[in-house]
Amino acid sequence: MQIFGNFIVNFAEIIVLWSLFQLFEDLGGWSLNEVLFLHGLSMVMFSAGDSIANGVQTVPDLIRDGNFDRILVRPMSAYIQSMVNEVSLRHFGLMGQGLLLLTIGMVTVESTWTVPKLAYMVVVILSGAGLFAALFTVEAILSFWTVNSIEAVNAFTYGGSDLGQYPLHIFHRGMRFVFLFVIPVGFLTYYPSLYFLDKPDPLGLPGFAPFVAPFATFLFCGVVGRGWAFAIRHYRSTGS
Amino acid sequence: MLGAMRGLVDRGGTEVTAVDEVSFDIPAGEIVGYIGPNGAGKSTTIKMLTGILVPTSGEVSVTGYVPWEQRRQLAQQIGVVFGQRTQLWWDLPLIESLELLRFMYKVPAARFKQRFAMATELLHLEPFLHTPVRQLSLGQRMRGDLAAALLHEPPILYLDEPTIGLDLVAKTRIREFLADLNRSSGVTILLTTHDLADIERLCKRIIVIDHGRIIHDGDLARLRAQFTATRHLTIDFDSTPDPIAQGDRNDLRIVSQDGPRVKVAFDRSIHSAPQVLAIMGGYGTVRDMTIEEPAIEEVISQLYAGSKPTGTGA
Repeated sequence: MQIFGNFIVNFAEIIVLWSLFQLFEDLGGWSLNEVLFLHGLSMVMFSAGDSIANGVQTVPDLIRDGNFDRILVRPMSAYIQSMVNEVSLRHFGLMGQGLLLLTIGMVTVESTWTVPKLAYMVVVILSGAGLFAALFTVEAILSFWTVNSIEAVNAFTYGGSDLGQYPLHIFHRGMRFVFLFVIPVGFLTYYPSLYFLDKPDPLGLPGFAPFVAPFATFLFCGVVGRGWAFAIRHYRSTGS
Repeated sequence: MLGAMRGLVDRGGTEVTAVDEVSFDIPAGEIVGYIGPNGAGKSTTIKMLTGILVPTSGEVSVTGYVPWEQRRQLAQQIGVVFGQRTQLWWDLPLIESLELLRFMYKVPAARFKQRFAMATELLHLEPFLHTPVRQLSLGQRMRGDLAAALLHEPPILYLDEPTIGLDLVAKTRIREFLADLNRSSGVTILLTTHDLADIERLCKRIIVIDHGRIIHDGDLARLRAQFTATRHLTIDFDSTPDPIAQGDRNDLRIVSQDGPRVKVAFDRSIHSAPQVLAIMGGYGTVRDMTIEEPAIEEVISQLYAGSKPTGTGA
């Protein structure tokens, strides 16, 4: 049911996007097919990251109910135990839709698909999944201190995914800065797409910018990992 | 060897000192009762000993590990049972929870088989091995939790109120199991409880904590002696003796006189029980006598009453 609901919502988004392109010829120089490709790419990454971190998103509940205690008395990584605490299939709807859009985009855009491009796309999708999983982990980290006001982070998880579905250069430069150098979503969706779609970089970053995706994820995950370790040491547990 | 804690301080949610200058050593193989009223800091101490909580200051060493620094290594050395909260997976049958733990603790298959068979037999798990944990009775669940905590043969077992909410039969069964375990495998046990019968059955040594501070650490007998100087001696005479007037003796107190049965209270620092018996022999022929130990509940409540709330508040 939830899968179906998600599908309707996302499908409606695509209709909106399509109508938009009936009014305007392009979006910052990107055709409908190219934007669809970017949508698909971002959706696949987001849903994969969401799936990976599905259990991690239950950490606030584990903490509130005092069940995080039992995770800490076992000889296995607390992160992995949190990860497998809950496994859900709700992301497969979004993932399927993302893959569909990605395929439509790939077939309809006017760029040639080479083996290196395809190989790098696999790397980029994996890195993107890692980045979104790390973003969801930030929520979990904050819940060690404040159990109820972590929704602000959703602006970066869901917001990051939404933003990643559009060409970055159409946004205000402040936003661009945040989503490149603080939360490197832009390096996972937009920049690799410039390479996949053979488009020039209107923002003027160095030529290797499309290829920093795995490194950006690596760095981001490193910082988040530190945050997680710090949070565990400040775990307060609950009474009794 | 188990826990050497020096000057532990833990901060709770609002900078309340939960545990202050709690310091003790537990040699391997001992069973220690750790008791105190609600909110005294018992669970906080156990959580620091397992590495769940990081103390603000102080030292803890458990089998050579600093719990919060080497939490995962230590986890192999300890078994934990929280009476109020299961370590098992709510939706899984008991046997699958045990399988999962086998995987987590990397227990070799052959070893697991052996441990599993032993636990099943000693804790009588057979009838509900395939029942989801949420459907187990509290007593069954607790036995399941004990099996889970002991699967990886930890030399140390922490039990936080292991008999809470259980009926008398289930309590007794768990106590017997723990006593056997300690005797046969030398497992060191640190036990918190509100049921002092647990303590009496299992522990020679008790540590009493209140307001985050240790107010007693020593054996149960000494604690009793220290806090209750008064003993009761009940004497059955052959025939009803002449009424004993209280005025006769000011070193004894006649508590009651009911036919041939007379109950006297005496101060142990003045008289020994045989002396009292000799005195009472002057009133008639003694047929039988019993000495009543003061109830442990009484001892503990006197202990709590005597401790001052220091070290709380920020």
